[in-house]
Amino acid sequence: MRHFLVMTAFAVMAAVVFGTVAKDTPRARLTYGLKVFVEFMAIGLVLSWILYFLPF
Amino acid sequence: MSRADIEQLHSRESAPARAWFMGLAAWLVPGLGHLLQGRWVRGLLLGGAVWLSFLGGLWMGGHLFTVGGNEQGLSALLQLPPMIANLGSGILYIISWVFGVGFADDPAHAARATYEYGNTFLLVAGLLNYLAMLDAFDISAGRKE
Repeated sequence: MRHFLVMTAFAVMAAVVFGTVAKDTPRARLTYGLKVFVEFMAIGLVLSWILYFLPF
Repeated sequence: MSRADIEQLHSRESAPARAWFMGLAAWLVPGLGHLLQGRWVRGLLLGGAVWLSFLGGLWMGGHLFTVGGNEQGLSALLQLPPMIANLGSGILYIISWVFGVGFADDPAHAARATYEYGNTFLLVAGLLNYLAMLDAFDISAGRKE
């Protein structure tokens, strides 16, 4: 659970910065920030399951 | 190309001293570059993310990198990229360096379950602040709204 919380905190902070600096309008920033957050979380979860099954 | 276009292009290419100052302020104190330009929400969001990331990293027992420790040769050189990332946190890194917080390099410290998380948060805090610094510079130079 702690790992998931840390990963979520990381994704939130990275998404906030990426969303703020990357786009020009508030709506585009929000959309992009959410997209980055979801991508961080999804890729993190997929990678964690792949690594879980690796025997080393 | 008209004279007005050339003047506009010239003003875009040569950033004013104010932009360099804003960039420096944004690097030194995360969020300050935007706050000085009246971008309160942006400054609080960017500064807040960097401060939280840095303090969270220290809280989790992360390690700050520096060149000139016990390492020698290539090993010392390998400390340079993470140190550059850490240095992006500006005054947070400087204060930590002055007070020796986060620079401990002992096995017991590294054995903490959250040690690597802390390292990552500290590195990313600096890298995110470099992005915020460039953003503050661009806004002040008129290249960005």
